[in-house]
Amino acid sequence: MRKLDTLGTVHETDVLIIGSGIAGLAAAITTKERSSAARVLVVDKNFSGWAGQANKGAGMFMFLGPDDPVDRFLDYHTRKIGMFLEDQQLLGEFAAESQATIEKLDSWCRTFCRNADGSLAADTFKPGLPWHLAAAEHDTQMKVQRHAKRLGVEFLDKTMVVDVLKQDGRAAGAIGFSLLDGSCHLFQARAVILATGGQNYRILSMWSAARGDGIAAAYRAGAQMRNAEFGSFMQLVHKRSKEPLLGAEDALYNAKGEFLSTWRRELEPDVDPMAAAVWYREMLAGNGPLFTHNEENWLLQHTTKTHAEKGAYGDVAPGPWDRPKAEAFWGKLRSKTAAVDGLDAVSEVFPALSGELSPVKVDHRMETTVPGLYAVGNTATSGSAMAGAVPASPGRVRGKALTSSTWMGIRAGAAVGGYVTERPVGLPDADKAAVLKEEIFAPLQRAPGLQPIELVREVQAAVAPVGYSIYKHRERMEEALGLVLAARDRIPELAAGDPHHLAAVHEARAMVLCAEMFYRASLAREESRGWHLREDYPQRDDAAWLKWMMLEDREGQMHLSTEDVPVRDYPFRP
Amino acid sequence: MNTIDIDFEACNGCKICYKACFVDVIRWDESAKRPVVAYPEDCVQCNLCELHCPVGAINVTVDWDKPFPSVLEHGRRYPS
Repeated sequence: MRKLDTLGTVHETDVLIIGSGIAGLAAAITTKERSSAARVLVVDKNFSGWAGQANKGAGMFMFLGPDDPVDRFLDYHTRKIGMFLEDQQLLGEFAAESQATIEKLDSWCRTFCRNADGSLAADTFKPGLPWHLAAAEHDTQMKVQRHAKRLGVEFLDKTMVVDVLKQDGRAAGAIGFSLLDGSCHLFQARAVILATGGQNYRILSMWSAARGDGIAAAYRAGAQMRNAEFGSFMQLVHKRSKEPLLGAEDALYNAKGEFLSTWRRELEPDVDPMAAAVWYREMLAGNGPLFTHNEENWLLQHTTKTHAEKGAYGDVAPGPWDRPKAEAFWGKLRSKTAAVDGLDAVSEVFPALSGELSPVKVDHRMETTVPGLYAVGNTATSGSAMAGAVPASPGRVRGKALTSSTWMGIRAGAAVGGYVTERPVGLPDADKAAVLKEEIFAPLQRAPGLQPIELVREVQAAVAPVGYSIYKHRERMEEALGLVLAARDRIPELAAGDPHHLAAVHEARAMVLCAEMFYRASLAREESRGWHLREDYPQRDDAAWLKWMMLEDREGQMHLSTEDVPVRDYPFRP
Repeated sequence: MNTIDIDFEACNGCKICYKACFVDVIRWDESAKRPVVAYPEDCVQCNLCELHCPVGAINVTVDWDKPFPSVLEHGRRYPS
């Protein structure tokens, strides 16, 4: 019988965590807090402490404060955001624990903005929304990573995990390779936690690290997916820099000077897909391009104190909201984008997809349908059903990604920390690992061949068009799926000359798989609901579609099924 | 593609730029103790290398005309 160590370097650990963003680190720290004897290894494609999204966005964390009742939040969320596809029990638990989650996180890093009396500095994204925002400095991730190290968490950087290894149906490890020297690395573990982010298709720059690696690994390991049809988050961006312009959807005009944002008369929590639909219809009618009038952009004019970009648009008064590192980050970016976007009163904008597909189905302990395999953060936000009919965090709750990812990490860490040292360490099937190793490294033997960036561009051409992925219609989606399947047929041609490009090959494979999931689920849901907006089925259909859409691999085919949302058991019903 | 200029005379070999890059653009030359701009075509102008360089030795010049997928289908091109 073949041994694992004949295939490469073997790492034995109790808990293997793949991805060192805020969710992965929260899982690592919580595991050590629950079981100090547990060996925890965090693997990242690049460098832990710098990975993830906490140092690339606004650094905002939503939470429910003492004056934000959970019931009011759930009522609003079900009606305006998740459209009754939420797992209301899970969302309620998250909401109730959101402030404690932030306090816990801050105990690890001490980077949150606080008032003079020590309380969390809190503001609303927009007045009237039933939650609050806190803000943390941009070195949060780094400090949390240092705390994890102090607790004894081990890190392996510059290593890409491609596939999960199993033993008798249970996750028992993983296989991947070093980005530096291309050597094969194998992992034996008692539990595996995927924390690799969602699928953003490498379109918007700051979010381009989320390439669906963990989603694809989970799917190939046999895990079920849920809510894939909602994975088409978009924002309106500046035409030249392609950087998001928050609030542009409230002040849209066409080239004739006609005001278009009439559908947003009542308070909306955030951007919505109708902005993309309006843009699309106007462009096809010859009324484009579209512009936003910045003086009418409510968010831009009345940006909250927590808005990290404040430093780029104006000085932040000394006080609890002063975040020099965040302001330096945004100031640097804005100083460059201003050179091409200008600082004009009117900006040309368009809808750019960031995706945020996050369909790995998890239960309330964050365990997938593969025993011993967990998924947290934006790998599994939609799959948890916590968010309902919207893409992964933020969905339409700005600042939710960091809080919910931390919370999911804590949940998974608590789950595995409670039992992990009592289980035997996994002994992955070495023969299957050998087959996977051959598949993983095969592109190195094909050079020259199809470059991964060429396949990435083919997938982008199938997901970026608004008429395909955001303002959906059967005919257009069938066309887009055709493009995805054509890209899928070319996967065997993918070639890599070095480990960097080998990583790009496996990311491209994951993009193809994620795009296929998205279109198959989107085609099946014959209604409009939340972020799933269909031109051919414009109405919400509660009689037929209070259901979750599931996807899973069955002998190489993507199999669809549905599960009724137990809405009768929930406090809020349509 | 973006251009990442590094002043190797000013560089103090701290490795921060190498670690800060989350898309594997910057590698490290252990013998020279200096960064290598290995994959500039993948740079996404996060500017973290430039921002965190303690001696100000890095400058990222952004190519705003990098390829971007069209958001209209059927050969209609936007943004141009």
